Amino acid sequence: MERKLQGRGMAASWYGIARTATIDRAGAWAELDDGGTAKIVTGVTEIGEGILTLLAQVAADELGIKPSEVTIGDNDTARSPEAAHAGATRQTYMIGNSVHLAAREAKKHLFEQLADHWDVEIDTLQSFDGEVWSNDTNLRITMEEAVGICKARGVVPVGSASFTAYGTGLDPVDGSGSPWQTYVFGTQVAEVEVDTYTGEVQVLGIWAVHDVGRAINPRGVEGQIEGGVIQGLGQALMEDYQTVDGHTTTHGFAKYILPTSLDIPQINCTIVEDPDPLSPLGAKGIGEPALVPTAPAIMNAIYDAIGVRMKSLPATPEKILKALKDKVPGREMYVQNARKQRAQAHRT
Amino acid sequence: MPKLKIELDVNGRKISRETDAYKRLLDFLRDDLNLTGTKEGCGAGECGTCSVFVDGKLVKSCLMPVAKASGTKIETIEGLAKPGDLTPMQKAFHKTGASQCGYCIPGMVMAATSALRQNPNAGIEEIKERLGGNICRCTGYTKIFEAVELAKAVIAGDMPEDALNEDAVGDSYIGHNVRRLDAPSKVSGRLRYAADMKMHDMLQLQVLRSPHPHANIVSIDTSAAEAMDGVVCVITSADVPDDTDGFGVFVHDQPIMARGVVRHVGEAVAAVAAEDLVTARRALSKIKVVYEEIAGVFDPEDALKDGAAIVHDYAPDNVVKHIPVRKGNVEAGFANADIILEDDFSTQQVEHAYLEPEAGIAYVDADDVIVVISPSQNITHHRHMLSHILKKPINKVRFIMSPVGGGFGGKEDMIYQGMLAIVAMKTHRPVQLNFTREESIIASAKRHPSRVHYKMGLKWNGEITAIQFNMLSDGGAYGMSSEGVMRKAAILSCGPYEVHNLSVDTTAVYTNNTPSGAFRTFGGMQAQFATESMMDMAAEALEMDPFQIRRINMMKIGSRTHTQHTLTAASLDRCLDAAEKESRWENGTPNVRGDKRSDLGGDDTRAPCTLGARFTSGKNSDKERVA
Repeated sequence: MERKLQGRGMAASWYGIARTATIDRAGAWAELDDGGTAKIVTGVTEIGEGILTLLAQVAADELGIKPSEVTIGDNDTARSPEAAHAGATRQTYMIGNSVHLAAREAKKHLFEQLADHWDVEIDTLQSFDGEVWSNDTNLRITMEEAVGICKARGVVPVGSASFTAYGTGLDPVDGSGSPWQTYVFGTQVAEVEVDTYTGEVQVLGIWAVHDVGRAINPRGVEGQIEGGVIQGLGQALMEDYQTVDGHTTTHGFAKYILPTSLDIPQINCTIVEDPDPLSPLGAKGIGEPALVPTAPAIMNAIYDAIGVRMKSLPATPEKILKALKDKVPGREMYVQNARKQRAQAHRT
Repeated sequence: MPKLKIELDVNGRKISRETDAYKRLLDFLRDDLNLTGTKEGCGAGECGTCSVFVDGKLVKSCLMPVAKASGTKIETIEGLAKPGDLTPMQKAFHKTGASQCGYCIPGMVMAATSALRQNPNAGIEEIKERLGGNICRCTGYTKIFEAVELAKAVIAGDMPEDALNEDAVGDSYIGHNVRRLDAPSKVSGRLRYAADMKMHDMLQLQVLRSPHPHANIVSIDTSAAEAMDGVVCVITSADVPDDTDGFGVFVHDQPIMARGVVRHVGEAVAAVAAEDLVTARRALSKIKVVYEEIAGVFDPEDALKDGAAIVHDYAPDNVVKHIPVRKGNVEAGFANADIILEDDFSTQQVEHAYLEPEAGIAYVDADDVIVVISPSQNITHHRHMLSHILKKPINKVRFIMSPVGGGFGGKEDMIYQGMLAIVAMKTHRPVQLNFTREESIIASAKRHPSRVHYKMGLKWNGEITAIQFNMLSDGGAYGMSSEGVMRKAAILSCGPYEVHNLSVDTTAVYTNNTPSGAFRTFGGMQAQFATESMMDMAAEALEMDPFQIRRINMMKIGSRTHTQHTLTAASLDRCLDAAEKESRWENGTPNVRGDKRSDLGGDDTRAPCTLGARFTSGKNSDKERVA
């Protein structure tokens, strides 16, 4: 046998968006502010996924200003409306849509005043990137001027919204129910090299394909996929929190091994956009789904390379070497044939 | 405590200070100079978040006693560029989206800066090796590599400086790669996480944790600790109302501090608030706790046996939650199968390993509102639970979510905010608690380990006729998110396939191990690891391509899910098509054909890592040492 063997494997996956088997909700407030800027207040803070930038994009696009002109208020139970927790792949879907709807309402108040001021139909008005105009006319001003006109007429353009996702509980006996209103799917392919002397597995390539509904910030989506893949790789190959009679033996990063820069495969992301029909933005989510197929894709690739099926994570060098040592040539096919025979017997 | 006179140059300014002799360079920078861009991630030189330059060399400042730094030239993240400005490296991190939670990023920027200072022409293998001492848990490193290569090209003049600017917008900001608005504050170290915040007159809290996995608490004597100079108060469960004490994401089974019994190693037993951290730590050793050890249970299968130690009285069978899912007729489905595969799979307990250890501050404001600032992933629920426990109107408890240095589900549990609130109420002074890495690892929840017994029946044509799926999971000492994790695992169990006959059971049990809780995928990956392994095993048995067997069974519009929900949208067909095409997948049965494949080693893969790249690059390599 050659020392280093390569192989490929794949895995598919699915996931639900927002809270599971329950109704989910999120609130937001919006204000078009002096200078053509905006304030968005909602109970959320960045946990690293890029939600603040995403919400600024959503608000800016709906209001017609630049994302850098949006100020997002801090997550504070005494100062902002409930947006609930930062988890469950719910931030883009729940809070994104809530901010979108709140911004839409603030803009509506502005446009009502401006339509009356200009004596045009409200549906001729549009705004983008700091400008407001009426289609088929020469009327065009900055958002700063538009907010000034609105306020001079005695109206502060504010909006608020609540977005709901309708999940239902599961039946306690057969588990039936509609736990989410939207689902995402994904597929990953892994290419590995296994060193049969040391048992070490290196992942050389990952092709990660995920439906995100609509990519608000494609680079941000890639960042979530890449991070998810590497957490999946860590779980697949090295991370292992261990205890002996309740006492941990992995109490620091010298014992608890994490992926570092030298473990990173080339990650090739492909974003599939199948817009969610039940929400105004059409976006779904990506935080959690990204790591679901990684570990099985890697295990399937290891099998392709060396013919041992790793059924117990993580596939550490020690486990790989043991599996190679215990492997009887053709054993898997033998097992498969036995299965076929068992099935045959089962049928007759 | 002995003092030292320290003279050194920090970011181009001469500093002359008297400081405590025990301090590390990291403490001196953060506490004495308020340079909090340098973060503490592990305190053991393993993660790199505290990286600084000492006389031009990249050094982990948690490993260097401050005395040793006297007379040196120090450069920190704050000194790389003038206030309000960013270096090309920092701009490149901004441009490529290389910062996510941002906690590792100051250290990562220092390591990247060091890499190009050591070798401005470093190739990607050398860059990766030079970043090898810095852990990032969010990004998967890929955008970081891209940033370093972009910065390298701009610095070398191979690319124009405006390559670092944001791309021009088209006709919409939706779908546009807007640069992260929070990145400048992260790449410059300006963003303050909870451990970086300071309030006037603030106390430091330290927690005494259980050394036993299962024991009755006979007595706790705090008098010697309370008598110490500098100790302001010591709290135990006696300071929490006993009829309302209890928190948890689903079941409120966990007290703020152990109440009469400890159920896992690392559980909070008492806490000391003192004028400074060292006093609080010393006072912990003066608290006398008498334990009576009792039998524990450490394996989920043992937990279900008769006579097993009972972890919580309310659950004498040790079951946290069992979720059943039934659809169709499983017996008929297996009877109709041409082939039946049966196997077992297991996954391990996994640590979130966010680079920011748990941290928080609490104070009582002028309106008698108890305010808790922490990187909590669920301030809404924490406010509910804490107001109930403290018997306060809900508007008298206020949670503020500080920037979260990585969460991944691990910061959804209210494992320390209650202690902070109680000290703030008792003392009417601000109080801060910053976990060490070891404390974070033993006290916070992990990903549920799982054992799955799997039985799958298929027709010769690849169609799945029935699945029986049984998962047992170790929930550890407290319920935390176990119920939800079992529910999600059950719902997703059999994968993105329409299976007409299935029987799924997921069960989490209590043990005296470190608790399991919420972790990115919430049970979804454990379940689908088993399913996707089975799918490939089935493909081999049926001599089918792995994509083909999945297409035969995949969910489509109109499919009924495992929980009998009819789908109105489904995109797996598009995902499979795209993955097959983008990966240049060579069709075939997964029967160990790695050595025969022709689709390996393309331009879209990396070369296997070979250590030593930086030593073959030439310049300075023989005399260089990276601390």
